[in-house]
Order: sequence, then C-alpha cells, then structure tokens
Amino acid sequence: MLPERATETTAAGRIVWDRFVRLFHWLLVASVAGALLTGFFGGYATYLLHIGFGCVVAALIVLRVIWGFTGTTHARFRDFVETPWAIARYAGRLLRGGAPTHIGHNPLGGLMIIGLLSVLVAMVGTGVAALGGTAKDGPLASATSYATGAAIAGVHRLLAFSLLAMIALHVTGVLLESWRTRENLVRSMITGRKWKRPERAAGSAPETTRAATTVARPTLAAAISFGLAALTIPAVVAASRWPVLGVPVAPLDAVLVKECGSCHSVHHPSLAPASTWRSVMAGLANHFGETATLSSDVERRITQLLAENAAESWDTAAANLLRRPNPSEPLRITATEGWIGIHRGVPAAVFASKSVAGKVNCGNCHGDAEAGIFSRRAINIPMEKFP
Amino acid sequence: MTGRPMWTTRRTICTGGNVVAACLGATLALAAMSPAQKAIYDSYATTAKTADAAFTDFSASRGQAFFLGQHAGGKPDTASCTACHTTDPKKSGRTRAGKEILPMAASANPKRFTDAADVEKWFRRNCNDVLGRDCTVIEKGDVLAYLLGL
Ligand code: HEC
Ligand code: HEC
Ligand code: HEC
Repeated sequence: MLPERATETTAAGRIVWDRFVRLFHWLLVASVAGALLTGFFGGYATYLLHIGFGCVVAALIVLRVIWGFTGTTHARFRDFVETPWAIARYAGRLLRGGAPTHIGHNPLGGLMIIGLLSVLVAMVGTGVAALGGTAKDGPLASATSYATGAAIAGVHRLLAFSLLAMIALHVTGVLLESWRTRENLVRSMITGRKWKRPERAAGSAPETTRAATTVARPTLAAAISFGLAALTIPAVVAASRWPVLGVPVAPLDAVLVKECGSCHSVHHPSLAPASTWRSVMAGLANHFGETATLSSDVERRITQLLAENAAESWDTAAANLLRRPNPSEPLRITATEGWIGIHRGVPAAVFASKSVAGKVNCGNCHGDAEAGIFSRRAINIPMEKFP
Repeated sequence: MTGRPMWTTRRTICTGGNVVAACLGATLALAAMSPAQKAIYDSYATTAKTADAAFTDFSASRGQAFFLGQHAGGKPDTASCTACHTTDPKKSGRTRAGKEILPMAASANPKRFTDAADVEKWFRRNCNDVLGRDCTVIEKGDVLAYLLGL
C-alpha cells in the first residue's frame, strides 16, 4: 500500500504544527465560514455578527503574521515562502512525478497560505471601508464617502468569490497531497503531527534543513501582540467615534414631528430631494387622498426645513439610495428604485401586518428612522401581530 | 356605546344677561374641563352666539349623532368620523396611514382639545374628508360637547 517513492514511517511521528498554528487554522476556518455565511445569506439580521467574524479574522491574521516571524520552525514564513522560480520548479517536478515531500508546507501550499492571507487582509480592509462609507459605521466612517464605500463593497464581494475559489483549491491541494504522500494532512493539522519522514531526493539537500534550527520566541510574540493591541484598539475606537460628516445628528424639529408625524411616522428630510418635498408640501390639500393642509406660516416653515435638509445635504445610505424619484410616482419615497431594491426581501404580508401598518411607517421597523440614520443595527420588525 | 347626553340634562346655572361664554364655561366646569379646553369651547360658543343671537347651547346628543353618523359629500372611504376614530371615542383609532389615534373622549385622553389651532386644523381637514366641506360652528361645538362630556 505504500507509495512507490516510499517514505519511512516513524512510530510517534513528529510535531510539525505547533499549538498556535493549529488553533489559528481552525479558528480561521470557523470565522471565515461564519463571515462568508453571514455575508452571503445573513442579511441585516447578522450585520453585527458579520462584522464580529471580520474582526476575529483580522485579529487572527495579525497574530499569525507575528508568529510567522517568531514561531516554531514550520510556522515561520521563511520555512514555506519560496521564490517564484522555486515554486515553478516544484510544480514542474510535481507534474512529472518525483517531487520531494516536505515536513511543513510544500512550495505550492506555501503560496496558497500567502494567497489566502493576502485575500483575507484585503477583505478585512475593503470590509471596513465599505462599512465606513455605506453604513457610516466603524473606524473609516469619517473618511469614506458613500460612493467610495459602495464601490469598495463591490470589490469586497468579488474578493469573497475569489476567496471561495481559493478555499476550494486549498482543500483540493491538501487532499491531493495527502494522497500523494500517504499522510493525512487534515489529521496533521489537528494533532500537529506527521508520521512520514521526508524522502531526500537524490542529489539535493533535504528541503527542510533551512529552518531546522529555529527556536520559537513566544514571549516576544506575545509582547509584540500586546503592544500592537494597545496601540491599534484605542486608535480604532477613537476613529470610530470621530464625528462623521453627512450624517444627521440634530434631533428633528418638533413642529415637523408634530405636523408630519400625526398620520404616519415622520419622514426624515434626508429621505427625499428638495424638489420632492416642495411638491409634497404644495399638494397637502390632496395628500395621497387626504386633506393635510396646514396654516400658511407652519407650511412655509416646514417646507423650508425639509428643503434645506433634503437628501442632497446628506451622505447616508438612505439619502443616497432614495434621492432619485420614480417619475410615475414622484412623491413616494417607497416608489423609488432604491427603496424597492432594499426591501425586496421583506414579504408584502409583513408590510400589511397590523403592527407594521404599511410601508409609509418607516419608524415601525427602523428604530432610528426619526434620526435619519437607518442603521442595520436598529432594524426591528414588530412581529407580535405577525405569525 | 352609551353616549349619555349629559349636556342636555345638565341644568344651566347662569341667568340671562350674562355673556354666553362665561355661562357655558360655568356649566361645563361641572364636567371637569381644563382651562384650555374651556377656553376653546367658549370661543366656539361665542362665535355661535355672534352668528345667531338665538343660540343657547351646543348639544352633545346632536354631536354624538354627527360624530357616529354616515355623511355624503366627502371621500368614499371616510364617510364617517368613525372611519378613523372608531365608534367608541374612549378607544384608540387608526389613521388611514396606519398610525394609532389616541382616544377622542376627553375623559380617556385629557390632552384632547387643548390647542385651539390644532382643533381648528383637524376640523378643517377631517370635515373636508368626511363631508367635502367645512363644518359649521354648531357642528364643531356639538362634537366638542359630546367628546368633552363623555
Ligand atoms: C392627515 C394625515 C396626514 C398628514 C398630516 C401627513 N400625511 Fe403624509 N401621508 C398620509 C397618507 C394617508 C399617505 C399615504 C400612505 C400610504 O399610501 O400608505 C401619506 C404618504 C406620505 C408620503 C409618501 C410615503 C411613501 O409611500 O413613500 C410622504 C413623503 C408624506 N406622506 C409626507 C408627509 C409630510 C411631509 C407631511 C407633513 C407636512 C405629512 N406627510 C403629513 C397622510 C398624512
Ligand atoms: C417591515 C418593516 C420595514 C419598514 C416599514 C421599512 N423598512 Fe426599511 N428596511 C427593512 C429591512 C428588513 C431592511 C433590511 C433589508 C436587508 O438588508 O435585507 C431595511 C433596510 C432599509 C435601508 C437600508 C439600510 C442599510 O444600510 O442597509 C433603508 C435606507 C431603509 N430601509 C429605509 C426605509 C424607509 C425610508 C422606510 C419608510 C418609507 C422604510 N425603510 C420602511 C424593513 C422595513
Ligand atoms: C381620515 C381619518 C380621520 C377622519 C375620517 C376623521 N378624523 Fe378627526 N382626526 C384624525 C387624526 C389623525 C387626528 C389627530 C389625532 C391626534 O392629534 O392624536 C384627528 C383629530 C381630530 C380632532 C382634534 C383633536 C384634538 O385633540 O385637537 C378633532 C376635533 C377631530 N379629529 C374631529 C373629527 C370629526 C368631527 C370627524 C368627522 C367629521 C373626524 N375627526 C374624522 C383623523 C380623522
């Protein structure tokens, strides 16, 4: 049953992957799986969970990079990062048959590790930027416009698909290499041990001698990690609290709330362009079939307030997505392409339920509607009357 | 819905020659009107008296009939005040856009009829939707008498 290019089996095997590497690997698997699932299928309900998974991925990668310079022999980058030339040569020998086996990662495996880490770094970066620009949340909120955030969100999505492809390739590689070397590499990543001794290809030095004498420096790694955490965590928190331009902060005018919030939940001025508000205010005598007239001084005041704080003045997701009226129903926020697109996943029966009481009542589902924020964190569909 | 016509059964304690407003105010004080409600009520009474010297009282029972009745001339889905306010003024109603309307009876909602401009604003809107015209001062006063006395 042994392969032709037999490697000897040692009884106890040897520790190849230290505890940190193994823990890192499986925590990364879990958090990346969580991030992918919540990202692709979670919707608004898993918004914070998705961000949480992203943060765990980021922290794991930082620790892994530090360990890549301070860890045990096969954890170090120099144990598995090869020149493109060496990788190509290895790939050639693999195709022809007769490639050597490695104790740690083989050169192609090493390339995959670097590729996965890079894509994950890019995903964390684009994720934070997309979050900052589109949701005005997180450390880049004050530095990213909605347009930039939305474009970066597109890149984030593309990266997610390439990550899926790379994961598939990685798993295939592991299975093929397990088959080729008759060593269960998945088990090795659990136990940390490999049992087969690498064969020494004739005429070449064992591929593993380069880093064979490396000593791990866990104390140094911990010190660097704590130092980095002490520097970056307060910086991230401070940046997240930085005032964000283009996001409403002032409470809504009391007259607006009273006059435009008596029949339905009050609409924040940022939800429509000034032209829409002027038309709405000019048509109060027949306001969607109802008389909603105001005294002329109150009407003037509210018109001015709405027009001056209209969608053009803000950079929130709501202002950006809802600012183009639908020509066939120009007064309805809920008729804009943006609104329909966002709420496509919400069944009509939910809007018709007694507790939601119609699309017009944004405030029944969006706890921060009156503030004009419309954060995913504040979505809470009242379900008590809805089966 | 009982709708006790207390207004008509209540004995007026004022004598002729008094300003009508003061007289009606004194009467309604029995129904524990707040000063703000009284001022609004009195001003409708004054207007009614100015328009017609023969005017004596608003009528809660007429107000009840008006409030609960079906009307023509307005919009088809709001042919009655009860379309939004329900047939029990002590209970909450609902706007057509789905928002709760707190009870109209002053006894169930002491904030009712405390802002003259608001009362006028809603009469203007609601009467137009239900009747297709403004309400007369008598209709308004009757409705107030009904809802303040419940
Ligand atoms: C007398 C009741 C009433 C008042 C007061 C009122 N509205 Fe409305 N409004 C309605 C009704 C009814 C609708 C239609 C709701 C529906 O179709 O679900 C509506 C719809 C709207 C819509 C369209 C919602 C959509 O579908 O996108 C806007 C915008 C709006 N109102 C703005 C205002 C503003 C601004 C004010 C304050 C000046 C105001 N409303 C005051 C009754 C009212
Ligand atoms: C049934 C409850 C409900 C009502 C009513 C409702 N929404 Fe929403 N809204 C949602 C849900 C659920 C989402 C999340 C959709 C998703 O991401 O899948 C959402 C998302 C949004 C978003 C995007 C938030 C983001 O950053 O992703 C905006 C903006 C928004 N709604 C605006 C409005 C406005 C304006 C109104 C009123 C005219 C309104 N909504 C009424 C349920 C509601
Ligand atoms: C289309 C729905 C609708 C109809 C029909 C309607 N109302 Fe109203 N009415 C309202 C709303 C909404 C308010 C404001 C409620 C609030 O302030 O809590 C209101 C308020 C009022 C107020 C002012 C209350 C106050 O505290 O100032 C009066 C008076 C009133 N309505 C009388 C009537 C009468 C009389 C009719 C029938 C002719 C009528 N309404 C029909 C919706 C309606």
